Amino acid sequence: MTTYSFDAYVTAALFDRTGQALFALGDGTVRLQDGTAIEAHPGAGVLCAASHPSGAGIVTGGDDGRLAWTLPSGAKVLAEAPGRWIEAVAASAASGLIAFSAGKTARIVSANDPAFERAFEHETSVLGLAFDPKGLRVAVAAYGGVWNWYARIAQQKPQTLKWAGIHNDVLFSPDGKFLITALQDAQLHAWRLSDGKDMRMGGYPAKVKSMAFLSDGALLATSGAHGAVIWPFTGPSGPMGREAAEVAFDELSLVERLAGAGQTLVGGRADGRLFALALGSSRTVPLKQDKGAPITALALSADGRRYAWGDEDGAAGVSDVPSLA
Amino acid sequence: MSQTPVTVLTGYLGAGKTTLLNRILSEDHGKRYAVIVNEFGEIGIDNDLIVGADEEVFEMNNGCVCCTVRGDLIRVVAGLMKRKGRFDAIIVETTGLADPGPVAQTFFMDDEVRAKAKLDSVTTVVDAKHILLRLSDSKEAVEQIAFADQIVLNKAETVSADDLRMIEARLRRLNPLAPIHRATRADVPLDAILGRGGFDLDRILELEPEFLNPPHGHEGHVHDEDCDHDHDHHGHDHHDHHDHDHSGNQAPRYDEDIKGVSLRLDRPLDSNKVTAWLNKLLADQGPDILRAKGILDVRGESKRLVFQAVHMMLEGDLQREWRPDEDRSSRMVFIGRNLDEAQLKAGFEACAA
Ligand SMILES: [Zn+2]
Ligand SMILES: [Zn+2]
Repeated sequence: MTTYSFDAYVTAALFDRTGQALFALGDGTVRLQDGTAIEAHPGAGVLCAASHPSGAGIVTGGDDGRLAWTLPSGAKVLAEAPGRWIEAVAASAASGLIAFSAGKTARIVSANDPAFERAFEHETSVLGLAFDPKGLRVAVAAYGGVWNWYARIAQQKPQTLKWAGIHNDVLFSPDGKFLITALQDAQLHAWRLSDGKDMRMGGYPAKVKSMAFLSDGALLATSGAHGAVIWPFTGPSGPMGREAAEVAFDELSLVERLAGAGQTLVGGRADGRLFALALGSSRTVPLKQDKGAPITALALSADGRRYAWGDEDGAAGVSDVPSLA
Repeated sequence: MSQTPVTVLTGYLGAGKTTLLNRILSEDHGKRYAVIVNEFGEIGIDNDLIVGADEEVFEMNNGCVCCTVRGDLIRVVAGLMKRKGRFDAIIVETTGLADPGPVAQTFFMDDEVRAKAKLDSVTTVVDAKHILLRLSDSKEAVEQIAFADQIVLNKAETVSADDLRMIEARLRRLNPLAPIHRATRADVPLDAILGRGGFDLDRILELEPEFLNPPHGHEGHVHDEDCDHDHDHHGHDHHDHHDHDHSGNQAPRYDEDIKGVSLRLDRPLDSNKVTAWLNKLLADQGPDILRAKGILDVRGESKRLVFQAVHMMLEGDLQREWRPDEDRSSRMVFIGRNLDEAQLKAGFEACAA
């Protein structure tokens, strides 16, 4: 394992299209796998990050009100929201669009067209953002539900999916049929988009901060419990009326972050430990057994062979996933 | 992991919050602060790390009207924690319209915020010249006083000594627990504002509320509509009645239904009974109870059982041993709306072991 000690909160870790790990930090820098630091938000901090639609580099939102794109060659500002914090960002490789929050506004820019810009207003602050699989619609999670907008259209009435509560995060299923949100009070909510039918997915001891689809969208894995909670998303009803399973259970520590690819799931805990497992196998393989600060960032490469992680105190690493058989 | 202390400053516009804030920031104490201000608030704050926040009050999903948090604070505190090493403490300045309940509850209801930050205390700044008017026209001003851990009575030089005493008596009736600090240009000692531990169970040492409305003839007695004596013929000698306005101001008086109630019992309590009573009381009347604190003597327990509550959120723990030389009685104070003192007293006394 290659390890780092960045001395700043690791906000995000991800892999670019060449398989290189990138880390975005609370000190405003983006770190490359060779340890190089690039000032993406000078004098500020990274609050959120996503892969650039091109697959090259990382898009970050900062507490300096800037949306930045960092490549190994340097950083550039994509958009600015003066006086605001950019707390949520989502990007679509399919459409080339990037959505970011600026207070109550969800703003859209395009990786392919610097002149393109859309702004969608909400009654409360924008809390979470997600693109549908085609990158045409953007879901905005806020207080009281989700608002779905066609990201390219300037004037429209959004599809409104109301549900009481504080919706911190949002995700589309890979087939685009379901929309899932993570709420402040330790539960998930899901909607079947064909008919707007609601599903409550509860029973969590803690707030869900991380959600990942696996196995071509057949399963959703989430944090918020002492193991990884796995919901079935097969069939027309998805998780409706079905039970979740919990894997890699360990009563000593909550799972904070998860990442998945294919049949592989990796998880990071509040006590700094990391684990991996292959779906269908009952074996949980420890990746990092040393305890440390809570894991705050975790990524798995698209082929499921490498993982990258970071914690609250700035410890980070990148390594190969061992055999899980 | 240590929790970053959070100090909340409330008070209406012009009361002197910003003056106090700038004093905290400029005094030579070696601490670096992150300051969370409302974007519609007063300007002119000199600090490196200032964050603007909209005051967004969000209801939790349990359907209860008092179970609310400040969504903006949850996010700002989480964001600030990504910048650790840049500051040692946090100050939250609210607008005059802010309800302190959700501000405080944010620091207890969100696990992440709670893990990283600890609410130290709520200071309410009022201005002596305008406070009586504010108490009659602003529900928020009344709640901010009732909720406070300490009150800065600013611009004290603008009113007479008699008026100051009368104002203080009025404030004490709303909040019998908070010390009142008279100030000119918010010149209170900062150790009266910072590091107070107002929500810290270990710091509940004494509960000797300043009496709500001392009896007639005693210093601090306030005459008001509740006085059942005949004002034209009464024989108190303590002061004249120049503040005594019975002329029937028809505007709503928001401070009439908020008050502090203090209870005392010299017999030990049954721990199950008192726990059940407190739980039920807060479940039934939580929306009306702004703050509560207590020190309890429980039968069969050599330690003091202490608790504090904000609306329905109750925290309790065994504290230190009772000392042989101290008054081993159970005391509690409730500050809230529509409190029925007789009913509270009966309920409390029924918890005797
Ligand atoms: Zn409540
Ligand atoms: Zn009288």
